[in-house]
Amino acid sequence: MLFNSINFLLFFPIVAILFYVLPHKFRWLHLLIASCIFYMFFIPEYILILIGIILIDFLAAIYIDKSEQKNKKKYLIISILATVLLLFYFKYFNFFTQNLHDFFALFGVNFNNKVHDIILPIGLSFHTFQSLSYVIEVYRGNQKAERHFGIYSLYVLFFPQLVTGPIERPQNLLTQLREKIKLNYSNLAQGFRLIIFGLFIKMVVADNLGEYVNMIYKEPEIYNSLSILIGLFFYSFQIYCDFFGYSTIAVGSALVLGYKLMDNFKNPYFSKSIGEFWQRWHISLSTWFRDYVYFSLGGNKVKIPRWSINILIVFVLSGFWHGANWTFILWGVLHGIIYLLESLFNRFIKIKAVTNQVVNAIISFFKVLKTFVLISFIWILFRAENLEKVQLILKSLVSNFNLKDDFLIDSKIWIFLGFFILLDSILFNNRFDLWCKTKNVFLRWSVYSVMIFLIILFSNVENFPFIYFQF
Amino acid sequence: MNYFYSYFLFESDLQKHSPILNLVRKVVRDKSEVIYVGESSNITFKEDDLDKRIISDIIKDDFPNKKFGSLTHPATHAGIFYQLLRNIPEKSSVKTIIVTMNLRSFDAEWIFSTLETPLQKSMVLLRDYPPLINRFMLSFRDYDIKTDKEREKQFKSKWEYEILKFPKPFKYKNVIQWDVDLCLSGIRNADSSYNDALTQLACGYVKTYAFQIVVKTNPRIKDFDKIVSLAKEKNWNLVFNLLAENVEKADELVGKELTILMKQNRDLLVERYHKNGVIVVDNLEKVHDSEFIDKNWTTEHYAENGRKIIAKNVSKALKRVFEK
Repeated sequence: MLFNSINFLLFFPIVAILFYVLPHKFRWLHLLIASCIFYMFFIPEYILILIGIILIDFLAAIYIDKSEQKNKKKYLIISILATVLLLFYFKYFNFFTQNLHDFFALFGVNFNNKVHDIILPIGLSFHTFQSLSYVIEVYRGNQKAERHFGIYSLYVLFFPQLVTGPIERPQNLLTQLREKIKLNYSNLAQGFRLIIFGLFIKMVVADNLGEYVNMIYKEPEIYNSLSILIGLFFYSFQIYCDFFGYSTIAVGSALVLGYKLMDNFKNPYFSKSIGEFWQRWHISLSTWFRDYVYFSLGGNKVKIPRWSINILIVFVLSGFWHGANWTFILWGVLHGIIYLLESLFNRFIKIKAVTNQVVNAIISFFKVLKTFVLISFIWILFRAENLEKVQLILKSLVSNFNLKDDFLIDSKIWIFLGFFILLDSILFNNRFDLWCKTKNVFLRWSVYSVMIFLIILFSNVENFPFIYFQF
Repeated sequence: MNYFYSYFLFESDLQKHSPILNLVRKVVRDKSEVIYVGESSNITFKEDDLDKRIISDIIKDDFPNKKFGSLTHPATHAGIFYQLLRNIPEKSSVKTIIVTMNLRSFDAEWIFSTLETPLQKSMVLLRDYPPLINRFMLSFRDYDIKTDKEREKQFKSKWEYEILKFPKPFKYKNVIQWDVDLCLSGIRNADSSYNDALTQLACGYVKTYAFQIVVKTNPRIKDFDKIVSLAKEKNWNLVFNLLAENVEKADELVGKELTILMKQNRDLLVERYHKNGVIVVDNLEKVHDSEFIDKNWTTEHYAENGRKIIAKNVSKALKRVFEK
């Protein structure tokens, strides 16, 4: 079920009302059934894959918990392998066989690759990572193995964050799922504020920008350099508003039910460096890689060459996590390289701090601009279907200076984008619901009204699925 | 808010998302009495045709005193026709409706076509609710949204699980088996070499026509039923124009088992709607292979003579209607 669908608008209030009407002991079951219904709106039979993942990790965690130290690792490895194999089969199988085929073809060997004609289960990478997070935490002794299969299933299937996160840790979500939730006005108000805000940035900002981005990425060769450049920057905002919108609705929906999920974004485009960007963008994923891969590889307690390799490994894996395509791997590599260069530069070259506030602000502005431009260019790899398309976009960008095109942007797009940038600036290091809380009723309701008005009348109606659904 | 939307934004939304409505507006504005509702069969012609007029224009010849209009849009089907017809206002001059009945539109590949999502989307603003409610429904995607892959999965699943029943025992139980075997054995040239183009065409015929209409579940039947009810409600004369398919080619490339299915489906439709008081013009086998424009795919695009044959048959039916 999509958050921006009439189905969800009917489904969610019913689920929320029933949740508060039911006694605490039945709530987990109610949410579990609701989550299954939510997921089965996509491709019903794929729920079996999720059940498979749940079963593997549920049992593995219990065995890890019960076993002696030497056997714990064995169960952990079994669990990781089984979960990753499922992910591999659905997401990476075709990529690997195709690449093997291409590799063998270099030597004139015909590697008969079979292409699996399957639809990737929505959000598979998210469930697997959330499930793995649980097993690893149990292995590390930070979390007791959950003995209640229903509650554990709900931890993986919890519908607000089921398909694109935030990827929750068991210490946060699993613990809350056992708590008795009381109806709380503040949670309801904050939750609905977030849902409205999320719908606004997804349906009005992201989807309207998407129309222009699609034009540019479909046939870059017919547009001039300026149009392409605008398209690239539009994509930066499209993907941000799309994913941030989804996460915000997820956090808001959970909050209405009384559960607090982690924030996935903190004004990423105000970052002064790539390093800072990754502390502000898709936080639940970057902290997942930090905690479970980077630290496992030794973190920053190793020598610089090894540390550099660790960083690159993390970024490559992060890219590969997004999709089975060389474009995603390169996207990760580029982020990794820039992160390394920035880190090494900061480590070895010390620049005197400027005390003048105005000069500082100007420097900060240019740092933010530099980071945004860099990220926007690297997004090309994320958005383009293949490397040939990346080449075509870059070639068109540097050669189509004098081309006349019909890339006419509706003025309302600029207004929506401007409105969003203004909001994002106002909400710097803050959250929409918390910001609203501090404002007077008139201003608050004006903002809600404008957003609802824009959602109904100006949302783009082309079918733009949430970008991160594909992962 | 509804007033604001209706006054300032609705029209531009209609033009952007449901321009198909302009066809309805035109027939109403022109005070058309007879409306021909169709898809691409009513816009195509062959380059070397002497008479390039479309079917609905040829029909007009026989009724110089009647005002004809056409609601023609490519790749549409009865579900869309119904929505368009519903939007004809009560006080229009429309008295008679001729609705194209395309046999292929009852088949899984068309029912679950990838074109369905945009078509369904274009219908949302035309619903009976206030414009603001329709816009709200459109914003929140209150229509059948599926990705191309999901739709492909749907019709492939139909091909696999729908068991075909023949009067005599036949070696294939479903479309997939039939299609795979035909592709493997292939259509052979005189020198017994594999003819790739013809084999693909033959497989196309199997995938397109090897189905049996199940009245209870086929959505297209429901669409035509709704058109029948609407015509009764609005007191319109109703004619269904069952289009010609290339039965000759189907027989030549695939065999009589396929044409049996095509004819079974035809019989079912003719019988069902005759019973409902609708005149069904049966053109299924009326056009020869030579009159089909597309030689490498299954379409209802006819050359001049083909269009004239169909127009003549429809005219005959219309005369009966007007005589009444």
